[in-house]
Amino acid sequence: MSSSLALYVSRRLLWTLPTLLLVGLLVFVLMRLVPGDPALLILGDAATPEQLESLRAQYGLDRPVAVQFVLWLAQVVQGDLGHSITSGQEVLPLLLERFQVSAAIVLAAVAAAVLLAVPAGLYAAWKQNSVVDTMVVAAATFFLSIPSFWLGLLLLLFIGLKLGLVPVVGYVPFAEDWRSAITFLILPTITLALIELGVLTRMARASAIETLRLEYVTHARAKGLSERTVLLRHVLPNAFAPTWTLVGLVLGNLLGGIAVLETVFTLPGLGRLLVDSIFARDYPVVQGCLLFTAFIYVLVNLVVDLCYPLFDPRVSAA
Amino acid sequence: MKLRANAVIGSVLVGVVVLMAFVSYAWTPANPLRVQPRLRLQPPSMQFLLGTDEFGRDVLSRLMAGAGTSLLVAACTVLVALLLGVVVGLVAGYVRGWVDRLLMVGNDALLAFPGILLALGVMVVLGANKWGIVLALGLAYAPTAVRVVRGTVLSLREKEYVEASRVIGNSGLRTLFVHVLPNCTAPLVVLATSMFGWVILAESALSFLGLGVPPPAPTWGNMLSSGRPYIESAAWLGIAPGACIAITLLGVNLVGDALRDWFDPRMEGA
Amino acid sequence: MKTALISTFAVLAAACTAFSAAVAQPQAGTLRVRLNADIRSTDPGLNRDANTDAVMMHVVEGLVAYREDATVGPLLAQSVQTSPDGLTYTFKLRPDVRFHNGAPMTADDVVFTWNRYMKPSNNWRCLPEFDGRGVSKVVSVQAPDPSTVVYTLEKPAALFLATLARTDCGAAAVYHRSSLDGDKWKEPVGTGPFKLGEWRRGQFIELVRHDAYAALSGKRDGNTGGKKAEVAKARFVVIPDSSAAKAALLSGAIDLNPDINDEDMAEYKARKDVVLDSQPSMDMQGLLFQTRDPLLKDPRIRRAIALAIDMPELVATVTTGNAKPSRSVVPAPSSYYKTAQAALPKRDLAQAKKLLAEAGYKGQPIKMLATKRYESVYKIAVMAQAMAQEAGIQMDVEVLEWATLLDRYNKGDYQTMAFTYSSRLDPSLSFEMISGPKDKQPRKVWENPEALDLIAKSSVTADRAKRQALFDQLEALLRADVPAVFLYSAVNTSAARSYVTGYQGWPLGLPRLWGVAMRNP
Repeated sequence: MSSSLALYVSRRLLWTLPTLLLVGLLVFVLMRLVPGDPALLILGDAATPEQLESLRAQYGLDRPVAVQFVLWLAQVVQGDLGHSITSGQEVLPLLLERFQVSAAIVLAAVAAAVLLAVPAGLYAAWKQNSVVDTMVVAAATFFLSIPSFWLGLLLLLFIGLKLGLVPVVGYVPFAEDWRSAITFLILPTITLALIELGVLTRMARASAIETLRLEYVTHARAKGLSERTVLLRHVLPNAFAPTWTLVGLVLGNLLGGIAVLETVFTLPGLGRLLVDSIFARDYPVVQGCLLFTAFIYVLVNLVVDLCYPLFDPRVSAA
Repeated sequence: MKLRANAVIGSVLVGVVVLMAFVSYAWTPANPLRVQPRLRLQPPSMQFLLGTDEFGRDVLSRLMAGAGTSLLVAACTVLVALLLGVVVGLVAGYVRGWVDRLLMVGNDALLAFPGILLALGVMVVLGANKWGIVLALGLAYAPTAVRVVRGTVLSLREKEYVEASRVIGNSGLRTLFVHVLPNCTAPLVVLATSMFGWVILAESALSFLGLGVPPPAPTWGNMLSSGRPYIESAAWLGIAPGACIAITLLGVNLVGDALRDWFDPRMEGA
Repeated sequence: MKTALISTFAVLAAACTAFSAAVAQPQAGTLRVRLNADIRSTDPGLNRDANTDAVMMHVVEGLVAYREDATVGPLLAQSVQTSPDGLTYTFKLRPDVRFHNGAPMTADDVVFTWNRYMKPSNNWRCLPEFDGRGVSKVVSVQAPDPSTVVYTLEKPAALFLATLARTDCGAAAVYHRSSLDGDKWKEPVGTGPFKLGEWRRGQFIELVRHDAYAALSGKRDGNTGGKKAEVAKARFVVIPDSSAAKAALLSGAIDLNPDINDEDMAEYKARKDVVLDSQPSMDMQGLLFQTRDPLLKDPRIRRAIALAIDMPELVATVTTGNAKPSRSVVPAPSSYYKTAQAALPKRDLAQAKKLLAEAGYKGQPIKMLATKRYESVYKIAVMAQAMAQEAGIQMDVEVLEWATLLDRYNKGDYQTMAFTYSSRLDPSLSFEMISGPKDKQPRKVWENPEALDLIAKSSVTADRAKRQALFDQLEALLRADVPAVFLYSAVNTSAARSYVTGYQGWPLGLPRLWGVAMRNP
């Protein structure tokens, strides 16, 4: 049993390699096709042609693109993602440092959202068409209709500035001071959670409604099982399954879309790093970041797929 | 009862917004691009029903023009994404084998690609305009459509009528188009309504980062983004486009819900 | 579910109240200042941008530095003697200067750092200015005794000292050998009023007061004068988003924002606990033309566009009334800004239309590039388009992302472009930034040979009267040719909490935290 699982996992992981290679190639080519020169951005409007050439040579940008790609690949295979053009830092440690911040917010937000969404969706489905159901749907739809940066800004101004309950700017790593860390992360987490709550609640409710109509649920009820048992033992796992897929997709995509919140709340996260690096044409960081997020995304989806059988015995992990 | 309420409210909301967009192509109270520096940041009044922005332009006119652009961009993006999704998803799901594997590798690569990089790249090729955004976001969301279509195809492939069709001797292509494709419609329509909302939000996020449909042409997204510094001094600049976005998304999602409920008896509980 | 919700909220509320005590209080003795992006390195002049210079000028110092009025005064040097032939500069060093590690500064350290700057592989920004390609050619640098350094130039150069003082070149700062680990940069061991404390990348740079700092006597004067650190610590906090920065200042999370948006001024003014201070800068905003463009190579069309612009209205709208309109490329705070430079042409739509008719302009669209990265650039484009329209000129604004715009600027690939230039501290440099042979330097907008000749002359002579005459001549040429329409130099406004005393901006723009104290709030 576990050896076939191991086989499955390793096959899946192996299949990620072509994906990663493709991502790397796409990024590399795209970044160099886009106009904009990192050396020029560094030197600004006073750049002389000689200074530009000298700086470009320093970063290895004067060589043909194909050569640059091969050199980069060779580095990556050895585990070296290069150095940032903007800050000179090593890319991999930089990515990991920033990832901690984004991951903390994303994981906490999605966990909170799921914890609230699944029960809410279940309850709304159970009481379908009642007042409660309408209110849940309305609230969920409301939250997924607001652009994240607006919600974030409103919360920042109201809770942070007007009420003064949390700091509006700043960050410390958990390891250093977990109390302050929470105060810095609480607003962006709430913002993200609210938005995800909308999506996940609707999804959970929809799947729960579908499941409730299925035959074996009717059978279960006919057999005389209590509503509670029906809900928890039969509907919940099935309602959870599609939600879980969405969680996987959401988690993966969030790593890119979180840039907006990190800007509003001034957090040194991965999203902002990616955006800033794209604008600064910091090729090594952009390339490294994309490989990293693609890998994380693939990993998350793998975990999600592996957990499927836990929720629906009918589905086998094949 | 709930069915009809969903559909009615949703359709009304969407209808209002679409009407606003159509009307804007023919008429707006003032020229949405006309700069009037002496009249900047005026609160709503009889002359300017929704006030003026930081250049003295009429917010209501910009809102209407913005409706046209935002809705057009969203609709076209969804179309692009669905088209790609159907083509790739059908092929991958029906043919399977190494073609499927290859297509899925490409799909995953595209899915892992952040929208902003796509937007930047595509804008280079097509210039900084709304079609660039359509292509970029279309590419960004196509993988989701591909997955939905492929998933549906995979589950339908084993169905009896598909088997029957092949047994009779229909070619694969005919089977695809006559039997498989129509059954993808339901999930696709539902996906389309959700995607519509995502695109409008994504355009506003891109504007926030400096990459949306470029100004001075208005979209709700870039109006919302430009209104940020004035959130306390001229709140109407942000409330107007924000409310429009919320109303549109609410309407679209309600319609989507109604459509899914309607399709339900047709779907075989998968 | 209801109980779950209630308990969640309870936890959240408890968390907020428990931790809010630690929130947004001025930290005793630490002055927190906003920086809009992280610094690039702590290696002065070699890996820098404007923010890096701002921070590093607190930690390191050079032989000479800019005074408040943009002239050059001694800093680490006690005196500077120029030989009559202008070829030799003798710097006598101050005897009381100590590095952060306690070691006394000697001529040896000056030569050491100089050699490092001049090493070609280090790519020092000002290298071309001292190796013969630019302002001067330094033939030798000698240390005849521990307190004297002698520079010998090949030819006289009026801007030699001014270039040494340039903050964008690290002010040719002198630091101790221990700043390096072999060839690798470790951390700056300089002579400034602050030492480098902690640099938490992407978040903040903390500086600590250098207690053994040997301050010059006298008041604060630009980057020289008396530079005493009144606060024990200074922390530059990285907050890229301006709305977040506003919230941070108003909530007390930071104490000072050296550069606020013009639009926010009214909001800040209304608050009693915030103090504003405005200073004109020496940057330059304008509308550039590509004089080799088939349509725009006709000077009449360029003049027509210039005439269509209502300078006072445009500048008032773009800067919310803070900056003054100016048609000269020489920034207003310059000591060479006199009558010729201050002359402001009036808007004349009739004349503009006449010129357009003469030139045979038939309403062809002219593309104007801009970017949203700098709000001012975008606003200039929108306003210029609207004003040009009233003269019948059809301009289409195309908004590009900054890197793309800079690329187009550098290649000269545009018809017109709204652009912003960083500070130039001498009119020679202001003219040089826009003039040059386009074949070699496509980014330049003006290639009038007579102008190039005058500019070259102005950078050689040190005589003020002669230079003023040259600049006046150049001004007349510029206004006749109209290779660009210059609009204004920005006025930078800082906002500080009322318990912050002694902060003042200055035309060179970089924030100075010496002489700034915090009263007990």
